[in-house]
Amino acid sequence: MTTRPTALRNTGRILLYVAMTAAAAGILLPFAWMVISSLKTNNQVFTAPIEWIPDPFRWRNYLDIWIKGDMFTWLRNTMTVSVAVTFLQVTTGSFAAYGFAKTRFPGRDALFLLYIGTIAVPWASYMIPQFQMISSWGLANTLYSIMLLQAFGAFGVFLMKQYYESIPDSLCEAARIDGLSEYGIWWRIMLPLSVPALTSLTIITFVTTWNDYLGPLIYLRDRELWTIQLGLQRFVGDYNAEHALIMAGSVLSVLPIALVFLLGQRYFVQGIATTGVKG
Amino acid sequence: MNRKIMTSVGTAAVAALALTGCGGGDSSSGSSDAEQADGGVSISLAGWDFASTPEFQTLADAYHEQNPDVTVELKEYPAGNDYDTALTADLAAGTAPDVFIVKNLKNYVTFEEGGTLLDISDVAGELDPATGGLSSMAVDGKTYAVPYRQDSWLLYYNKALFDEAGVDYPDGSWTWDDYADAAATLTDGIDKKDVYGAYLHGWQSTVQGFALAQSGASLDGGDFSYLAPYYERQLAMQDDGSQPSYATVTTNELAYQSQFGTQKAAMVTMGSWYIGTLVAEQASGDADTFEWGLAPAPQADESTTGMDNTPVTFGDPTTMGINAGIDESKVAAAKDFLKFAAGPDGAAALAEIGITPALIDDTVADTVFGLDGVPQDDLSRFAYTTHETLPENPVGPNTAAIQTILGDLHSAVMSESDPVDDAIADAQERVANEVG
Amino acid sequence: MATSVVDDHDSGALGLPHPVQPPRRRPRASLKLRNALVGWTFVLPNFAGFAVLTLIPVFLLFYYSMTSWNIFGNADWVGLENYSRLIGDKSFHVALGNTFYYAAFHIPLTIAASLGLALLLNQKLRGAAFFRTVAFFPYITSIVAIAVVWNMLFSPEYGPINQFIGTFVGGELPGWTVSKDWAMPAVIIVGTWRYMGYYMLLFLAGLQTVPAELHEAARIDGAGVWQRFWNVTLPCLRPTMFFVTVMVTIESFKVFDLILVMTEGGPGQSTLVLSQYIWQKGFEQFELGYASSVAVVLFLICIAVTVVQFLYNKRRDA
Repeated sequence: MTTRPTALRNTGRILLYVAMTAAAAGILLPFAWMVISSLKTNNQVFTAPIEWIPDPFRWRNYLDIWIKGDMFTWLRNTMTVSVAVTFLQVTTGSFAAYGFAKTRFPGRDALFLLYIGTIAVPWASYMIPQFQMISSWGLANTLYSIMLLQAFGAFGVFLMKQYYESIPDSLCEAARIDGLSEYGIWWRIMLPLSVPALTSLTIITFVTTWNDYLGPLIYLRDRELWTIQLGLQRFVGDYNAEHALIMAGSVLSVLPIALVFLLGQRYFVQGIATTGVKG
Repeated sequence: MNRKIMTSVGTAAVAALALTGCGGGDSSSGSSDAEQADGGVSISLAGWDFASTPEFQTLADAYHEQNPDVTVELKEYPAGNDYDTALTADLAAGTAPDVFIVKNLKNYVTFEEGGTLLDISDVAGELDPATGGLSSMAVDGKTYAVPYRQDSWLLYYNKALFDEAGVDYPDGSWTWDDYADAAATLTDGIDKKDVYGAYLHGWQSTVQGFALAQSGASLDGGDFSYLAPYYERQLAMQDDGSQPSYATVTTNELAYQSQFGTQKAAMVTMGSWYIGTLVAEQASGDADTFEWGLAPAPQADESTTGMDNTPVTFGDPTTMGINAGIDESKVAAAKDFLKFAAGPDGAAALAEIGITPALIDDTVADTVFGLDGVPQDDLSRFAYTTHETLPENPVGPNTAAIQTILGDLHSAVMSESDPVDDAIADAQERVANEVG
Repeated sequence: MATSVVDDHDSGALGLPHPVQPPRRRPRASLKLRNALVGWTFVLPNFAGFAVLTLIPVFLLFYYSMTSWNIFGNADWVGLENYSRLIGDKSFHVALGNTFYYAAFHIPLTIAASLGLALLLNQKLRGAAFFRTVAFFPYITSIVAIAVVWNMLFSPEYGPINQFIGTFVGGELPGWTVSKDWAMPAVIIVGTWRYMGYYMLLFLAGLQTVPAELHEAARIDGAGVWQRFWNVTLPCLRPTMFFVTVMVTIESFKVFDLILVMTEGGPGQSTLVLSQYIWQKGFEQFELGYASSVAVVLFLICIAVTVVQFLYNKRRDA
């Protein structure tokens, strides 16, 4: 296969792995600190210089977070909201993206720019009018409000539209000749071909909703409705913060996302190039 | 007007929502019905973080005990600045509770100008004039919120570390220069690595609050030269290593509770709320067990030192106001609750849970110093009960904007990015340019 | 599911002839109308929610930017007064300058880092799945933890970064987040570190559209790695590149929470950015009308940059 000596190649590989492992360790450092801090007592979390080994290990924090905090409720609410938002964002987003990418109608590009334009407006600057509106529907202080806030964002439309554009038009033409309607093309051809993009969108939407703080802060009051980010913030008082517990909760909160990512993982590298469709 | 726009948009769209079946969630926000089944009145009260802030429940329970026909329902908001953010949203949408805490004094004027607060001058008129911070709440002769709690800044010191270094305990006569000298001697005298004579937390108030109160300057006078000696002194202390540097405090997010509580610093100036925290942390083991004491905050000069004078310090009152949108039928009950909370009965109830009420009388002092773990010496009691406490955020329309500018000044000076005089000149120019 | 979606909307629901029929027989106008209708049915489910929940409040924002609204009271019309105030507002100028400073470095660095990661981890490499997850971790780690750890790493006295630099260089070391000159570079480093995995994900998706046979053909033609990247990968990646560039640009101009937790805009105003200025004015000083005008400026900047990118992209397409 190759003319280069395999020894040189192997050395290169090994060097690459060493470099990547070092980089990975560096990248994971803050996460490592989170885990370490979650095993400390409160007054040991912030010290100068940093203490990297907890003394003593305080495993209790992982029990306390369930006792002192209502982790179960928080996780359930966050999961409900994240799943609903992700579902709506992915379905309506990819559907609309097809309209923008593969059909023509007057004002299409202008409308699309309008979509992108709203991404450029910081949410904080229009959250109050939006809150007044959603409050007047009686939806403030319900989980529906958070779902509505996040579900119809422009991000998903934009992402999917760009991906669809990289799928050759000739494929759609062929399908049209075969008698598929536009909806059929979207469902039978575009969706299966866009699995990598759908996976990215799913993960990103899920993570964004999962970690959102300001939205729940403005909309949710009742304890039964709190999401995990809102709940963890409850350990920060005016004059006191239970940092160790917050970190324990943060570690627990990252795990479901990491799981979603690991599961979604294999779909990234499974696209047009590997499903054998020829353009 | 804004609310009307959004509400009409809302009604148009709600029909669509109802059709698609999304309008299912019932809103539990907003004020609940005034009339209860038994004919009593229920008023709602906004507070924050009930788990670690029991004062709201305490006041509600104590009031209900005296007035069984009135129930105070608590509505929980997050702590810190998030309280203001969330409450602001509710006020803007008309869904805020009947009674709410005006937590940050610098927002008081905005709330009042925005028409969110009911005029309660009659309640204020019936309160003891000695109530801390009450007089400063008047805007054009009218009062819209009354203080129920007022913390004042004090000096906390670790007796064990003082003994170890052979330094005399504070005796109430300290000026800031005495404080700086003691910090230097303590740092040298304590033979432990990473233990300092003093600790200065990163907040701007730790320097500016004292400077404003003790110099008698006015915040919106446009002249900030009164800050200079206070900053020079703190910078000198940071440079000679008698307290951790601002850089270390902020980058390592040091907490005063752990610095003082785990004996990394022999002295700290902090608000009186820390008494309760320290007692609790020593009991739970989060803080070390050691003897500590309270002393009046160090003074600018000798004219206000000594136990025959009244030391000057700072602290903002925490105040309570009535939502202007409250139901007519509940106004009387709400006003009565405010009178209770800011009066002696409320003060007694608060003192029992270790909170410093706005009205400090002998009963309150006896209660606080009767708590387990609170130091018993005379100076501690003197420091707690005797002080002239001026607000950190004097009531005024420009306070919030000025404090933002002074916050920038604080980080620029303490990080030693800018010399004190340059930073002050810069802040003065910005106030002239941006405020008002 | 699949068939019902197609059947409902196909010919029956819209009352139009089946598309299989050669379209040329019908008048062009009705074809256009039909196409427009089909296009709109795709866009509508998302657009309905988007219009009500986002567009209306955003349009109101433009209105409020010409009022003296303080959140609670009346929004009195002041015309362009807020905008003329912006011209003389030095803090706004500082925030604007800092935002451009951040964007100018963060955009290219992030694109380069994320594209590099994506190319590396798109290979059939043992453990690629693990490294992909690692690269994405900064994005899912709590932002508070990120701020804390990076601040500690940057700590001028105790931080490992300065200890490391100190072994090579003498003299005064950077003060990082507590120095006016170094705070912004520190924030840019952390911003790039945080978002590279996020954009790597988007690039990875885009890379799957690059046909393997094109690469194969280029290899047979004797093209080197670099030539294949330049002539095969990049052109195929153009739609994704456009998306990532626009998103990185907008997110850089909007940067907020990262700076808030790391430096709160300090020391002084050295890391004050537009989004934070909007927050300060709107929710700390309750000048929401004025804050809205800052938001409009931010919007216009992003739109201008996006339109340029959009037109450039269109021209390359043509």
